[in-house]
Amino acid sequence: MTSARPHLLALGAIAALGLLAAFSVQSAVVLDLVFTLLLYAVLGQSWNWISGYAGNISFGHAIFFGCGAYASALCVTHGLSPWLAIPAGVLAAAALALATGFPTLGLRGHYFSIATIAVAALVEAFVRTSHWLGKANGFELPIASGWGALQFGQKGPYVVLALALFVAVQLATIALERSRLGYYLRALRANHAAAASVGIDERRTKLIAFAWSATMAAAAGVLYAQYTLFVDPPSTIALAVSIDIALIGVVGGIGTLWGPLTGALVYVVLAKAVALRLGGAGKGYDLVIYGAIICLIAALRPYGIVGTVVDAIRRRRGAAGTIPPAATPAETAA
Amino acid sequence: MEALGTFGQLLAGGLLTGLVFALVAVGLTLVYGVMDVVNFAHGEFLMLAMYAALGLALVGLGPLVGLPLVAIAMFLFGIVVYRVFVRRLLAGPPEATVFGTFGLLVLMQGLAQALLTSDYQSVPSPPLQGTVRFGAIALSQATLVEGLGALVLTAALFAFVEYTETGRAMRAVAEDRVAATLMGIDVQRVNGLAFGIGAACVGAAGALLMLSYPVYPTAGASFALTAFVIVALGGFGSIQGALVGAVLVGLLEVFGGFYLSPELKMVPVYLAYLAVVLLRPQGLLGRR
Repeated sequence: MTSARPHLLALGAIAALGLLAAFSVQSAVVLDLVFTLLLYAVLGQSWNWISGYAGNISFGHAIFFGCGAYASALCVTHGLSPWLAIPAGVLAAAALALATGFPTLGLRGHYFSIATIAVAALVEAFVRTSHWLGKANGFELPIASGWGALQFGQKGPYVVLALALFVAVQLATIALERSRLGYYLRALRANHAAAASVGIDERRTKLIAFAWSATMAAAAGVLYAQYTLFVDPPSTIALAVSIDIALIGVVGGIGTLWGPLTGALVYVVLAKAVALRLGGAGKGYDLVIYGAIICLIAALRPYGIVGTVVDAIRRRRGAAGTIPPAATPAETAA
Repeated sequence: MEALGTFGQLLAGGLLTGLVFALVAVGLTLVYGVMDVVNFAHGEFLMLAMYAALGLALVGLGPLVGLPLVAIAMFLFGIVVYRVFVRRLLAGPPEATVFGTFGLLVLMQGLAQALLTSDYQSVPSPPLQGTVRFGAIALSQATLVEGLGALVLTAALFAFVEYTETGRAMRAVAEDRVAATLMGIDVQRVNGLAFGIGAACVGAAGALLMLSYPVYPTAGASFALTAFVIVALGGFGSIQGALVGAVLVGLLEVFGGFYLSPELKMVPVYLAYLAVVLLRPQGLLGRR
């Protein structure tokens, strides 16, 4: 493992830049972009723990985001402090991850991926039919202000909170890459049979990663609910949200520290550019671009943007690359 | 007596729905069996076929006349997608096929939204608007033709894979790719054909569905989700399994929608998927 120092320095620089933006930028549009970028980066990294580092590709990750968002909505509408939603949402998400992961994490490849779609659809059906969860209508959070209510008239404090969450998640991921858990996950992903033969407990290892992954997504969910003050199934737990989260994770590069931030950057910039140039999202132009990027990456550079850059650096230093050279059609035809 | 009538009505409806699901699912399971790829864009292939059938209907060729044309066009589309795209994914790490076909899903949905709008569109003045009665059971002609047409085509695919030389080559590749290569089978050609035939299945299914369904950019997605469940239920790679799984899912969906609520109609289907992959991972009729 390379030294953590360059990553810590980069993270410090990003934190400084973010704080500068939070306190000096007045434009609500720019601050909204920064907040969204950081929130998506956290969600992407959360997805990356289970789908990148652990190698179990999830298409249902939004349910953990939803745990946080709904915890926030329930606390606030029942007159409790939204701060309580952080432990409540995180615990609910971790419990949901353990309960659904215990049976499904042993499934491989598409079996797991389709199981995540099924579990997410069941959770959505449950929410849509549960009166106490607002059914299909969801919740509108009453407007308040101040740190006690975790709501602010300005966007600056939200950016600070999102930045703090992002930094915490990145630090946790830097630690993961250097921890026993991280090495176990890498070993399992490379060859689960060989890893099991040296005594790595696959289910236990992946459950721990899944629970942490869910925890991060739930924290992002609380922040999201406090920011938009509106929580309903399509905006939090629907399949489309899960697909967006996976999209961010894949575009940047799975199983890499900076992949999710890169993916979120591409996502936010494209969404904004498409909205400005082509007159609004929802017309499909953004999907065309994301789809084309993912297709190109999958066909030519399956390790994503960051994976490719990392490999190029390693090659330049003279070390053996981890990525086999892209297959030529002649090789493929053999 | 009335309850019995309702039951018979639901049973017939579930069976016919299941047969259409089967035609969509066999395309998916064939591709999986031959090259170990779960095509996450399978539903978008179906959506494309539905738009193609709609286009033909607008120039005067109704869905049933247009069916062979759509199936052939989708066959060629499938071969092209395999040649230029899927072949490269197969050379990458195993995740590449999941991400790649997922990217194709996003791309095709986006293109449909951008070029054809998100509006629901139906075939103008579709044929087969009458109702057929069997005692207490009333079925629309369109549903009947959809279900029976899908059954015939599924059976034809089964016969093709089972009894033709090319079908034998496909089964050989599915069994053991390396051994098949050593026996002189051109694996790339077989893969391409399988992908083309998988697309032709949704081509035919798309044309049939236009008899009674509208098309919109995400029209295929719900069918594809159902098809994943069916293929897992029946055993990935098994055509008979897909047929059995599809009928089972059709019945679960129709009865679930009636006795629970339309909003919950997929709940028994997903529960069935989880139960099967956890308790019998090879599927109901799968080997391994």
